[in-house]
Amino acid sequence: MPKKTVFRVHPSINFARFGTSDEYYLSPETSAGLPQPGTSTTGGLPIRAGTESELITSTDLRDAEGRLKKQAARFRVYAYELDGPATYPGGGGSEITLGDRLPDGRVVTDLVWTVHLANKKAAAYIVVNNEGVNAYAHGAVPQRRNPEEHGDIDAPSRLNKLMIDAGPRAISAKGAQRAKFDGCTVPSAADGNGEVCQYPKYPVRFPADVNDELFEPAGPLDSLGEMLSDDQGRLLVLASAGNAVAQYDEYGVPIQLTGDLNNVGWYDAAADGPVSLTLKFEDGSSQTAFGAWVVCADPAYAPQIRNVVSVWDDVYDTWVRELGLRPELFADGAFKQDYTPCFSTDIKPVFVASTLQRWTANLPEFALRAHAAVDAINEKDHPNETIMAGLTFLRNPNAGETNLGAPLMPLSLGEAGTSFLTVTLTQYFLLEQWSKNRYATEDFNPLGPGELLDMAALSNCLGGRYVPGIEVSYPVRCKDIYIRDWAASGAGPFRVKHKALDYTQAAQDAPFLKSGWIPLHGMTDGLEPGDLSKFMAIPWQTDYNSCSIHQTLINTNGVNESNGAATTLYWSWPSQRPDAVYVAEEVFKNVLPKQRWSIRGPGTYAVNPASAATFQDPLDSVKQWDRIGIIVQGTNIDLPDKEFSAELYLEVASQLTAPGDASDPVASWPFNANAPKRRARH
Amino acid sequence: MEPVNDKWDIEHLREHLQYAVDLEFWTLPFYLSAMYSIQDRTSKPYQLIRTVVNQEMLHLQCAANVANAYGLSPSFAAPTYEGTTVPHLDFSGDDPQEVKEFSPYTAEIGPLDDEHVNAMCLIEIPEDLTGEPPALDQDVTAYGSIGQFYQAVEFGAAQLRGQLRGGVRQVGHFGAAYRNAPSLVVTESGQAGFDQARLLLDLITDQGEGIGRDNRGVLPVFQNTADDISPAEDHFDKFRQIKYNPPLPEVFTAKPAKQYTPEDLALQANLVERFTALRAALTALFAGQSPAEFFPIMAGVGAAIRNCWAHGVTPKFS
Repeated sequence: MPKKTVFRVHPSINFARFGTSDEYYLSPETSAGLPQPGTSTTGGLPIRAGTESELITSTDLRDAEGRLKKQAARFRVYAYELDGPATYPGGGGSEITLGDRLPDGRVVTDLVWTVHLANKKAAAYIVVNNEGVNAYAHGAVPQRRNPEEHGDIDAPSRLNKLMIDAGPRAISAKGAQRAKFDGCTVPSAADGNGEVCQYPKYPVRFPADVNDELFEPAGPLDSLGEMLSDDQGRLLVLASAGNAVAQYDEYGVPIQLTGDLNNVGWYDAAADGPVSLTLKFEDGSSQTAFGAWVVCADPAYAPQIRNVVSVWDDVYDTWVRELGLRPELFADGAFKQDYTPCFSTDIKPVFVASTLQRWTANLPEFALRAHAAVDAINEKDHPNETIMAGLTFLRNPNAGETNLGAPLMPLSLGEAGTSFLTVTLTQYFLLEQWSKNRYATEDFNPLGPGELLDMAALSNCLGGRYVPGIEVSYPVRCKDIYIRDWAASGAGPFRVKHKALDYTQAAQDAPFLKSGWIPLHGMTDGLEPGDLSKFMAIPWQTDYNSCSIHQTLINTNGVNESNGAATTLYWSWPSQRPDAVYVAEEVFKNVLPKQRWSIRGPGTYAVNPASAATFQDPLDSVKQWDRIGIIVQGTNIDLPDKEFSAELYLEVASQLTAPGDASDPVASWPFNANAPKRRARH
Repeated sequence: MEPVNDKWDIEHLREHLQYAVDLEFWTLPFYLSAMYSIQDRTSKPYQLIRTVVNQEMLHLQCAANVANAYGLSPSFAAPTYEGTTVPHLDFSGDDPQEVKEFSPYTAEIGPLDDEHVNAMCLIEIPEDLTGEPPALDQDVTAYGSIGQFYQAVEFGAAQLRGQLRGGVRQVGHFGAAYRNAPSLVVTESGQAGFDQARLLLDLITDQGEGIGRDNRGVLPVFQNTADDISPAEDHFDKFRQIKYNPPLPEVFTAKPAKQYTPEDLALQANLVERFTALRAALTALFAGQSPAEFFPIMAGVGAAIRNCWAHGVTPKFS
């Protein structure tokens, strides 16, 4: 079979993050917390703007005025020479930049990128926190958000009023163009030949277009972001300033934030959508690449603190078990018992993640020591002689153990309907193989550079507990959202399928996008812009704020299903949403101070320990989310007259309190919520 | 009832406090082995034993803290598990009807079965089910129940309260799950220190056997507030639940020792090594040191026990 050249954009899914500054840094291209060759700085840190891979330090997090910088999602394109169906890992791939000559002689003269961002949250269905994806099972759907806007889920009146759609934008890298996803920039998209076409009739929608007045506690919501390219032709997608705005009620009062997930009358500036690329060549020809997807989401407040279960782990598990990713690992409905995992890539990440939790959660001493012993396990240790022997302290996802708490790990809250988190089935199988002393110390099937970017981007995001999540939710575990003929088509894995959109049909008065994809309804024709972020909380700030620590019954319909006290508190998203932190300024000669809550200071004092580490007034979360500090490894903290050990991951750049300010003390675990109120007897 | 001997000396008290540590320590491998033999960790017996084991570790800490307050840093010899002998407990003087209820029993390491459940019940049997009144005699080294034993210890400790010194090598690692309890260490001297020591001794007996035949369970002050499925129930009640709610859960099948492979023997040896390390770490911990690896070693013993059972190997500790 003759070889064919295909182009793939990597990462297949990448993440831009909100910031209040116009300045930005670049999305990380390494995997959170993992050792990196030649340096003591672990993976996950973003990259300094304008550089290939220079890591940021603490002084790069805010601009000169103290505003939080954005994280730009950087996309690259790789060429693959295929002589048959794609396999995984493919291992190869060469990055293509402006001016490059391909092996077949073609010279790249331009890279034309098209991105379409939308936010359908207010027009979508509610998040049901004890149901998760099951709220869509058996043909059902949850209630609609904003039900006061009448009509079915696709009613134009609802979509016009509730959906934010900036439309598509296309830029030529050769022309160093940039485009804003706002109401002033004419929508545009590349045609099949890479020519940029403008669509002035595209029905761009922002809240201000359909509301006479809006409550704008942190500023207007008039943009979903921006796109530009670097001097190599790579795409950078910037998120918005992250603002949330609200309607006024009939009394002229801003509609209050009454919950965490589904606030009526509110909009936020999250977004997501397809990333497409057409390569243009010197000979006048062009070729489209297999595209990617961008998600604009919360800041990474702890970029190096690895989630025990990341989005990568969930996506990989889905692809292994449902999309034939690695037949040598899983085939015919079962894991292959002769599969040999690689210690450094399949096993060690879980161990690393366990010990990193200490930097964002108030773990007790015995857990810190035990986790350190887990992290110390190396590829030379016989599994039977380690603290992980027999996986005795790991919750088994195959054994219905999701309601068993300590000492089983992970000791954080689980997904909808379960008390505690478990590793994925694939993670558990790989660990089982290791525990049987069946593992390799060398990676015989290393990922290619593009594949590494796919993995890194996803492994830096919160997985496991999609209630609803931080960057994305349970749809990433649904095979229907992906290009399923990934091998035959040459697309490669982990690519969200773009729903075909014909922008020539756009009309000013009619919403162009529909309500879009939902899970468990057999929808396989691809996702529209906004179809991932619509499953997240609205506004995003209230969910981030509230998801600090909870009782397990928050997941189980108010009934304690755990094997402990109903009031015992556990961490919701300990790696991605820091709870208890060590403040760098308070560290003296690498001796750790007492922990502080990440969200602290005026307006955070909690009457009930269950609401510790949160803004007590959710409106404060909308106004002050950008003042929360970021957790950075000691190697990359620049403070006058201070040096920090590489072992420490400390909070920097918080604007919530000054060093020495009083704040709510951090309780040691186990700690409890207040008992429920008892009814007075008369 | 009047004590047989109301003049204890400090050495005798220390000897009893070492016995207390011995007894608490003895229960750990015995209970852990029974627990980890259960395949289904969601089963109620597994969860009940788990909560008891956690409290036995707390009891060990309490006994050692009282010992240190009276000038003894306890040692941790390898316990022996032979026949029907439980150190410092002698069930022969107990009410024969009560003993019969929990017979036959074994004090040898093994999986959760009828004989082991009986032993667990007997060890935690309330003092007023044991027939004999408390014998507070210097010469007695075996008691009918843990309750009797600690009553004797408390009696001697009260007499010698003037020799109690607070703040000596006190350890507070295992009290975090008891938010209603005062600090579980002895920080004061004299009478105030004795009150603290008595609190620790009461905790041991209250959590273990409850507060009497009328089955009032565990006092709120001593109840687990974090991770216990039945925090108000004492050990005796928990074990009795297991006994009287058959069938017992499925356990790992243990191979005859003669069928052990070299890998099986290595698993046993690994457990012995880890348990030996734990004994050294406990000795150091209650001698005022802070062994960094104490918690991993302790967890590693549990992992090694479970791993033995999972391979069909009966755990071995020395």
